[in-house]
Parts: sequence; C-alpha cells; structure tokens
Amino acid sequence: MIDVLTLILSGGVTLTVPILLSALGEIYDERAGVLNLGLEGIMSLSAFVALYVCSITRSYLMGTLAAIAIGGLIALIHGFACITIGVNQIISGLLMVMLADGIANFSYVTVIRTSGVPRAPVIKPIKIPGLSQIPVLGQVLFEQNIFVYLAFLLAIVFGFILYRTTWGLKIRGVGENPEACDAAGINVNRIRYLCVILSGVMAGFSGAFLSLGYLGLYGRGMAQGRGWIAIIVVILSRWSPYRAILGSLIFGMGYSIAASLIGLNIGVSSYLLQMIPYVLALIAISLMFKRMKGPSALTIPYRRK
Amino acid sequence: MKKWIEKYVSYPIGIIVALSLFSVILLVMGFDPASSLVTLIYGSLGNIYRVSETFVKTVPLLLCALAFLVAFKARFLNFGAEGQLYIGALCAYFVASQMGDLPGVLSIPLVALVSFISGVAWLVIPLILKLKLEINEIFPTIVMNFIAILLTNWLLTGPIKDPKAQNPQTRAIPPATWLPIMIPRTRLHAGLIFAFFLAFLIYLVLQKTVLGYEIRAVGLGPKAAKHAGINVPRTIVIVGILSSGLAGLAGGIELLGANHILISGFSPGFGYQGIAIAALGKFDPVGALLASIFYSILLVGGESMQRATRPVPIHLIYILQAVLVLSVLIVQEFIIMVRRRK
Repeated sequence: MIDVLTLILSGGVTLTVPILLSALGEIYDERAGVLNLGLEGIMSLSAFVALYVCSITRSYLMGTLAAIAIGGLIALIHGFACITIGVNQIISGLLMVMLADGIANFSYVTVIRTSGVPRAPVIKPIKIPGLSQIPVLGQVLFEQNIFVYLAFLLAIVFGFILYRTTWGLKIRGVGENPEACDAAGINVNRIRYLCVILSGVMAGFSGAFLSLGYLGLYGRGMAQGRGWIAIIVVILSRWSPYRAILGSLIFGMGYSIAASLIGLNIGVSSYLLQMIPYVLALIAISLMFKRMKGPSALTIPYRRK
Repeated sequence: MKKWIEKYVSYPIGIIVALSLFSVILLVMGFDPASSLVTLIYGSLGNIYRVSETFVKTVPLLLCALAFLVAFKARFLNFGAEGQLYIGALCAYFVASQMGDLPGVLSIPLVALVSFISGVAWLVIPLILKLKLEINEIFPTIVMNFIAILLTNWLLTGPIKDPKAQNPQTRAIPPATWLPIMIPRTRLHAGLIFAFFLAFLIYLVLQKTVLGYEIRAVGLGPKAAKHAGINVPRTIVIVGILSSGLAGLAGGIELLGANHILISGFSPGFGYQGIAIAALGKFDPVGALLASIFYSILLVGGESMQRATRPVPIHLIYILQAVLVLSVLIVQEFIIMVRRRK
C-alpha cells in the first residue's frame, strides 16, 4: 500500500511539471494582456522536436533548446497576429493548436517513413544526497530529474520577478492599464511580444519534458489536454506563479492517479481512468472560478488613440 | 469597386500564402508540387464520386461551423462542438440500433431529434456554470470534449463493440435508418440538403427575426442589451441550445448518413475545424457554407494525396488550413487597421 502511495505521489510531482511550466509562461503572457490558447499544440510539437533533435544529436540540451525555439516561434506568429494586427486572440490561439499539432504529426509521420521511430532514453533522476533517504518523501521529492527541480525553482523565480522587480511591474502594468504605461514611456507592445514569446518558450520547455523527461517517445495528441489544463490552472491560481505550484500539483496528482491505476491494471477501462484529471478540472472550475477577474486589458489589443 | 476589393481581397491572398507553403514543403520533401496539386484537385473534384465525397464531408463541417457561429454572434464561445458531436453520434447509435425495421420516415426524424437533444445535454454543465456562476464557457466546454471522446472510446472498446470487428467499432445500424442516397453509387446522402437548409434557416433567424436582433445585440454588449430590455440569460440559453444541438445533430447525421457504424476517431476534429471555418466565413451562414465546401475540398483532396503511391501525410492539409485561415484573418484585420488610420 505504501508503495502504491509513494508511486502515486512521486508520479504526481513529476506530472505537475508539464502543467506548471506551461502555466508559468501563460501567467506572464496573460498578465501582459495577451491570451495564448495555443499551449496544447505547442506542447505536442515541442515534445516531438525535442525527441527528434535529441535522437539525432544525442544531447538533451540540444533537444530542449530546439523545443524552446519552436515553441517561441509559434508563439511569435500568434503575437504578430494578435498584438500587431489585432486578430481575435481566441481564434488565433485555436489556430495555433491546429498549426502546431499539424506540424508535429506531419513531421512525425515523415520521420517514421524515412528513418524509423525516434526514441531517446528518459533523463535519469538525480538523487539529492541525504534528503532522498527520507522514507516516502525522499523518493517523492528528492529523486526526480533535472526538469522537475528546475520547474519548481522557476516558479519561485517567476513569482519573484513578477512581484518584486520593475520588469514585473511593467508586465502587470501593460496588462492592467496600457494607456498609462504608454504615457509613462513604456513600450507596451514590446513587453507583450516578450511575454507571448515567453509563453511559447515555457510551453516548449514543457513539451521537451514530456518526451525527454517523462515518456521517451512521441505519440499523437501527446499533450493529452495538459495545455488546456495549464490555462485553467492560471485562472485557478489567480495569475500568481506561487499559487500555480499548488494548482499544478492538484492536476499532476490527478494525472498520476490515472496513470498509476492504469499501470496497476485494476480491471477498469483505461479510458474511464483517463477521465480523472478532466473530471477534476470540471470540479475545480465549478468551485473556484466564480467571478475571477483577470487582468483588465486581457485579450484587448493596444492601439494609441 | 474599392469596397468590394477590400471585402474579399483577403481570400486570394490567403490562398496564395497557403499554396506557396504547400509548394515549399513539398519541394523540400522532394515532391513535385504541381502534380501534388493535381492529385489534390482531382481527388476532391475529379469525377462525380469524388465530388460527392467532398460534399459528404461538407455536412459535419458546415453543421459544426453553424454551431459555433450562431453562439459566437451572442459572444457565447461554444468550444464544445467536438464533444457534443461525439455524444450526438453516440446517443443516435443507441436509439438507431433499436429501430429494427421501423420505416425511415419515422425512425430518422426520431434519431435526429435524439442527437440534437443529447448535444444540448452535453452543454448543460457549462451553460449552468456560465449563467449561475459567470464562469467563462471556453474551458468547461473543452474539458467536456475530452470526457466525451474518452466515454465514446470506452463504450466502443467494451459495452457496444461489435465482437466480430477488430477495430473499436459498433455493428451497423438497421438499413431502414440510413439516410437516402441522392446520387446512385455514391455516399452522398440527404443530410447535405438538410445541412444547407439549416444554414439558410440560421441565416433567416439571425437576419430577419427579433431573436436574431437580440442575439446580435447581446453580442455587441450584454450591458447595453440588458438596458434595451433584452433578456440576456434567455438569449444565451437559446443560442446555447441551437449551437450544441447543431453539433449533436452533426454527429447523428454523420452516423445515419455517412458511416452507419460508430467507429473510434470518426471525427478528425470536425468540432474544432468548424470554429476555423466559421472564422473563415466571417461568422456568416452563407460564408460558412462556402468555407465548409472549400475546407472539405482540401480534406478529401488531402486524403487522396495520402493514398497516392508516394503518400503525403494528411497533416499537411491541417497545416495549410490553419495557415490559410490565419492569413485571411490577418489581411482582414490589417485592412481595418489601415482604414482606421486614414
């Protein structure tokens, strides 16, 4: 029993990571006034890119960098459409999901036909000396791979920058009152561009984790709803990187319970078990979304009057 | 003349952008873009059978586009068409499979009604959350999509699976419930006429009725609409019912007309594609009709490229569709931006 519990908890912490990484980027993006609904597609695409580049170069770093680059690039297209031109951010975001998913699956099929299924061994966990010896907790918290430690560290860094630095103030400013920021000499759209690209970069990082740090392979619809869940987490955590840790943990545990039960083969269809995180999402939305107001200028493009 | 150009120039530009990308990708992969284009066009329009296949695909795409746009007019964003379509098809299967030899005149309308209602049922939770708790409908509807697809896959791998089939699929529904074929030796079924009729109906409702006026008023601003004496929640409920019902119907008609069995993954994302099509057609029923035909030309043509001796993955078409719609929207917004600056 304790083994199963440890397995679920440790898997939960691992599966918090893709949601948390994507949510962190999205928090900055939405704080600056731009909604990026494209995460789901960006995560799948960058998962493939990370795996493919890693399988060729045999370097996790190169794979991750490539994933980050492609994530940033897709987000840049979204940024151009929404910030410079003023296309409806919701429609553009959905088109990014289709575009990124399309590129991912197109490349995957093409690669399989020419050079076989791309594979890379999953990154090995790093045992923190001493701490990893603690029963249960040691295995859950201190026997994870580098992505996991980085994700939680980044959440704290993101929170610190957002609340304690001038950069953070500017980001929050352009999302709340772009006119005032413009009058104060801040380049509103430049900050928005940076934040949109950041959301793509983080979703790219998250995708790299899915393939290199968790599964070691690519499958269609790889993100499994995590991109959408990440945006739900952003709202649940009321646009705070610190609270996003907790929000992501809830869903990480949900995905982990589903994965563990499927692994244990308890005689219930895996399709039913896979519903767990989505049912959880529905409950969370119903209980916590009530009248949550996002940044005032969210989804409104900025134009000088 | 000038106005006319401004209104439509985005479409040729979008097509040129998509075609250029098409050529570049195929050239890089070592294909001949011109002959691939011929395969695409011949594959979707080359003979009567190919044209009929294109129109078979048009039906669910058009219905899903109508589903999105009718709610979008009131700024209700139903992202749940994909799930509503699955549930519509699923419930249609449950009823249709019990129909036996009952004549189609009776069974078909009944099954269609069931698919409409079950589509609506799948929107009930997001709709209640919207009206009672002011929760944005985007995320609940998307979550419901995942649940609907998993539910369907579960039933297809267990309780309703055809034991003789290898794939997760059901037995065929009784032939009496099949929609009539309009052209012999094709799959072109009467659902097409019905879908065109619904497009016309939605057009009439939006343009010529008080309800249409109320929907547009709510879309322009719920507060102003309320002050004008419009019952906003009632309008939201009505567009919600129309929208989710149309999506459910899309699933039901796909079962009765095109497939006759329920099979895992029978929708390649019709619900989501409907949103892109609605945007391509400027959220107008006539625009959606033309855009959905164009979309299915690409889809059916793409399928024949995938079947060619040197196959091109169908995903190329999904990439092009996204690029096409995005370029069209960018050009349209760009024109608005330039006009405002003058």
